[in-house]
Amino acid sequence: MAQLTVERTSSAMPSSSKWALTLRRMTRCKECYLLLTPTFVLILLFNYYPALSALYHSFFQWNGANFKRFTGINNFVLMVHDPTIWLSLGNMVKLTLVALAINLTFPLMAGALIFHLRDLRLAYFYRVLFVVPMVVPGMVTLMIWRFIYNPNIGLLNQILKAIGMGALARPWLGDFKLALYAIMFIGFPWVAGISTLIYLAGFQAIPMELLDAAAIDGASAWKRFWNVELPLVMSQVKLIVILTVIGSFQGFATIMVMTNGGPGTSTMVPGLYLYRNAMYYNKMGYACAIGTMLFIITLILTYLNTRYLKSSVEFTGV
Amino acid sequence: MSRTLRHDLPIHVILGILAILTFYPFVFMVITSFKTSPQFIHNFWGVTWPPTVANYRDAWHRISIYLANSTLVSGASVVGVLAISSISAFVFARFDFPGRELLFFAILSLLMIPGVLTLVPAFLLIKSFGLLNTYWALILPYISGGQIFAIFILRSFIASLPEELFESARLDGASTLRLFTSIVLPLSKPILVTIAIMNILSTWNDYVWPLVTIPDGRRWTISVGIVSFSSQYGGLENWGPMFAGFVIASIPLIILFLFTMRYFIAGLTSGAIKA
Repeated sequence: MAQLTVERTSSAMPSSSKWALTLRRMTRCKECYLLLTPTFVLILLFNYYPALSALYHSFFQWNGANFKRFTGINNFVLMVHDPTIWLSLGNMVKLTLVALAINLTFPLMAGALIFHLRDLRLAYFYRVLFVVPMVVPGMVTLMIWRFIYNPNIGLLNQILKAIGMGALARPWLGDFKLALYAIMFIGFPWVAGISTLIYLAGFQAIPMELLDAAAIDGASAWKRFWNVELPLVMSQVKLIVILTVIGSFQGFATIMVMTNGGPGTSTMVPGLYLYRNAMYYNKMGYACAIGTMLFIITLILTYLNTRYLKSSVEFTGV
Repeated sequence: MSRTLRHDLPIHVILGILAILTFYPFVFMVITSFKTSPQFIHNFWGVTWPPTVANYRDAWHRISIYLANSTLVSGASVVGVLAISSISAFVFARFDFPGRELLFFAILSLLMIPGVLTLVPAFLLIKSFGLLNTYWALILPYISGGQIFAIFILRSFIASLPEELFESARLDGASTLRLFTSIVLPLSKPILVTIAIMNILSTWNDYVWPLVTIPDGRRWTISVGIVSFSSQYGGLENWGPMFAGFVIASIPLIILFLFTMRYFIAGLTSGAIKA
């Protein structure tokens, strides 16, 4: 009741004294703002300013230095007519779909298998084992894959020769048709990574009673996996979907060091094309427009993902 | 055969095959790192004896500078991230002040902004500060970007600490600083270690940003350095030293992993899920 009166008086107060109240509360916690200053100075400078600057400059023809001219939506019109944009978007979609298909199967299987081990000591051993490759610097792993695909002496061609299928040996990364697939294949068998750990943590969070109940009901192992365990790791699946989509939209370092978009432009992706426009051709405005497009697509997909997959979690929660 | 083993055996077979496929390239790397070029050409698959340790001396000559740079950059960044994010998370979790929700949302919404969007203006900003070719070009943005996720994780952890702890300390006349150093920091230690490891891993592996902001090869980090090193030695078909360089480049993080394995795995699973 007292609460109610206070609220009514506060809302009935003239706005000037409401401000005074807020001001008093603010001065009471002066320290708070002071302590938050480093955080906000940094994010305003290194995160907000560049992001807003990128959105703003996507409407300009800009070389990043002395030439800047407002051109409205011209950059976006240019993008629609730029065949490299469409090619790179197509590659991005292909890479994302394949990455999704991989991340929703292989690590899930590995996580489920480790979860079903009865020997918990060995289960822990496998868990540690599949973390180790993540500790190897990402670029070292990629350089090893570059060697695997080496046309002359690479591991893949040598294996093919060793098993008498030398006719299939190819310059994998130098082949217009194959380069993109070679990039998708990097990391095979795709079980050593964060996805396996995330699935495993999801399985381990399932209440024992649920699994026991399903076992008592006499459900087969496959049925239990499909009807009990899988629905209960849907929030992990959702997370992996988000991480994979964001990862393949943004990450162009892999393409850059493996093929640099080549041969020709056959493995070009938008991120790398943005980089080229900015660093090679000095088209900073156009690069910002590509960044803006990627930002908008990411926003839409994240929104769709949260909406669409949330409902399925609620459904399984019933 | 025990019942446990009989149940587990088919799983061991599949996981074993997956492990072999996963690790073979790394095993190949270590074996080849001890071969001279003629040994490698004549004996592609096998182990040769004696091991050519000179490959490591050769590679260390080129790689060590990149490792030193990376250690400096990642080290300074992680210290900055921990210091700034723990203070801010403490304030967000334990104090009530006007604008708290709004300010927190301002930090949280940055998780939605992709790095490719900010790449060009951030580069021009660093350039206008005259920081190109300096370690600051890496450290400052790494602290700024790294603290976002750290504040997010730390805030919910610090908020979950029981209020009685703070209450009794305040009654004893503890200052805000005292609350932070005597209660928050000791209790958050495990989660701080986890955040530190995640942060080191991400700055250590970053490639595009140092490539853009550090044209001078003497200041390259390991990610940029190893690619250039690999192209050079691979181009000369100098495979032994190339693979030795890869092994050397992997050692620091593997040592870190050996000492902090528990936190590593905890961070990669629970930390990521909360996100």
